[in-house]
Amino acid sequence: MNSKELVLSAMKRLPVPRVPWVPFVGCHGGALICVNAIEYLTNENNLLNGIRKAIQRYNPDGIPVMFDLQVEAEILGCELVWSDENPPAVSTHPLTDGKTIKDLHIPAITEGRIPLIIKTAKTIRGEFPDIALYGLVTGPFTLAMHLAGTDLFMKMYEEPVYVEKLLQFCRDVSIAMSAYYIDAGCDIIAVVDPLTSQISEEQFRQYITEPVKKIFPAVKNKGALTSFFVCGQAQHNIEAMADCQPDNISIDENIPLDFVRDICEQKNISFGGNMQLTMTLLLGNETDAQQNAMECIQTAGNTGFILAPGCDLPYATPPENLEAVTRLVRDPYQQQVISTLEKHKSTPDIPDMSDYGVSDKVIIDIITLDSESCAPCQYMVESVKQIAPQFKNIVEWREHKIKHKESIQFMTALMVKNIPTICIDGKITFVSRIPGKQELIQAIQKRINEKLYHKIRVRKGSIFILGRDDNEIQQVKPVVEQAIRELGADVPLVEISDEKEILSFGITRTPAVVTATYKIKSEEKAPSVPVTKEWIKDLL
Amino acid sequence: MNDLIGQISICIERGKVNKAAPYPPDMREQDGADELTKQAIDDGIDPNEILHGCMMGMQKIGEKFSRNEAFVPELLMSAKAMTAVMAHLKPFFQSGNVKRKGKFVIGTVAGDLHDIGKKLVAMVVEGNGWDVIDLGVDVSADKFIAAIDEHPGCIVGMSALLTTTMVNMEKSIQGIRAKHPGTKVIVGGAPLSTEYANKIHADGYAADPQGAVNLLNGF
Repeated sequence: MNSKELVLSAMKRLPVPRVPWVPFVGCHGGALICVNAIEYLTNENNLLNGIRKAIQRYNPDGIPVMFDLQVEAEILGCELVWSDENPPAVSTHPLTDGKTIKDLHIPAITEGRIPLIIKTAKTIRGEFPDIALYGLVTGPFTLAMHLAGTDLFMKMYEEPVYVEKLLQFCRDVSIAMSAYYIDAGCDIIAVVDPLTSQISEEQFRQYITEPVKKIFPAVKNKGALTSFFVCGQAQHNIEAMADCQPDNISIDENIPLDFVRDICEQKNISFGGNMQLTMTLLLGNETDAQQNAMECIQTAGNTGFILAPGCDLPYATPPENLEAVTRLVRDPYQQQVISTLEKHKSTPDIPDMSDYGVSDKVIIDIITLDSESCAPCQYMVESVKQIAPQFKNIVEWREHKIKHKESIQFMTALMVKNIPTICIDGKITFVSRIPGKQELIQAIQKRINEKLYHKIRVRKGSIFILGRDDNEIQQVKPVVEQAIRELGADVPLVEISDEKEILSFGITRTPAVVTATYKIKSEEKAPSVPVTKEWIKDLL
Repeated sequence: MNDLIGQISICIERGKVNKAAPYPPDMREQDGADELTKQAIDDGIDPNEILHGCMMGMQKIGEKFSRNEAFVPELLMSAKAMTAVMAHLKPFFQSGNVKRKGKFVIGTVAGDLHDIGKKLVAMVVEGNGWDVIDLGVDVSADKFIAAIDEHPGCIVGMSALLTTTMVNMEKSIQGIRAKHPGTKVIVGGAPLSTEYANKIHADGYAADPQGAVNLLNGF
């Protein structure tokens, strides 16, 4: 099975000998041949050489011809601002500058950068017949946003007919562009519509489903397969996307891969993604890239999955990271090594909580989003708030709002996974469930009993007699000695007559008696600072 | 709560701008934030109370957003309803009778020309009671610093949509901290993460407009 067959089989959920790998090389191709993004995305030779270089270095199973979502917008009158290391950005929106939908036209094959893409696709097709070629078209909603600006969001409510009309136009643009790319030799048409992540499922079904549902059959009728790309937090729309019946859905790291896997399995379509673009591929090293790829492969399973970055690869992605992914994908042994390699990634500063809760008080930690803005969190905090006064000074409660870094570290340290959660002395006790009054009291009482037992076990103390001279000491000493005797207690008695030492107890008038108890907080190891802080808080 | 204020709060939460507005469909032909605020002022209701009612409405839509029950279009409709209220309350701000939560200076960092995300954040933050100073796109560190000079005590928001420009955030934060060590800076944008925000010593990362509001209200 060659690379192209591998991709096409995975797209159709057919059995494959290994997971196919499709690095989305866009302007990154420019970096590979040392030209900037402008020179890369506008020049035929550069585009061609960049793709050739990427194929040579990454040995991919599939590759896009051009990854630039501004091609259609540019032709339709959006002004572009170019930068050296990124695809261009749209800076003006013709529909807000006096133009109407009627003034727009379906781009002809001769317009803008389409000829450049067509020619490149044809050449690459001829040179690399065994690799799957992706043609990328701007999805209808993203193109509509380019044309109409952010007002489009509000127009969805205020002028639904207008928005529908605009999306129908954008749908026709996508269909035309798809046809150009398929004729030039592309095997797969990816409809890339990242901005749909910003709307609800209801609006998706109201506005996006109809146009997209017409694009996919048009592509299939011309013999190509379809992929629906989204990026950003679009988890709520995955099912609606699947219902548009593409062959494949491709997502980025914002959406859990297992979630998409399960939906795609139900809908009998394939899926792809979702390697981390920034932290791993751009800023990480080869091991990071391999581990991330392995995680994706393990989560996704072997059926209907295409390994790919979440989106367009950053210009400066170190090629070594991508080469490392290629080695992993093609070498089962490498996969085994990575699977067993302990994760060496630096974890955030997680305090050691093994000693948490070794204080006199019972500490109740409530991990919340924020009780002021999350109703379940609010009820949970209130349930504790109501009970706490019954235990007077024994119970102390705290809310940890996970919008703060420290709270996230705390949450991680206590291994709390759900919000809201109640922990009693560091032990997860109520998860996403507001406990009843009696239930909460019982839980606290249980913990108090445990502690009492522990306390009796570890108690150790001293009694100090403070006097400025022997006379003063002797006034008190016989009394204390008698008391110890009568109790049969094993308590050392310490006499202190040094003036400075007496003052250090905060005592000015003598004779005086001070008792002290010692509690073993840790043995044979140094405790962590956060844990020690908890102990010190008890002393204040 | 005064009934009128309660109604205004609902208009904000549901994004009902004025009587003529078709959205939301179940509130068609009803008075919106615009008419109700005017009436409240005419009735002599304290503008601070009106503002408080609005904030409750914004908070509710914010909660829905956080729970994935509302999305950007709904947030924007609420922000638009809020703008209608603000038009009536503006004279009271100027006279000093009503206080805003603070000043928020926002811009897309140097080299980055993406406007959409930053604009959405600006609109929603403004709707939540902050004075927003939008510096636009491709904002240099010097420009951020000049804005802080002009608006002491402000909180700065930086947006970057590109992996190449997000590195400029770090430089801008360093520049700001050198001149205004106490200034809080929050960051956002597609390629960012909490991990990255920590790395560049930002005071917070927000994944969406409501996240930015939560951060700001938390400071």
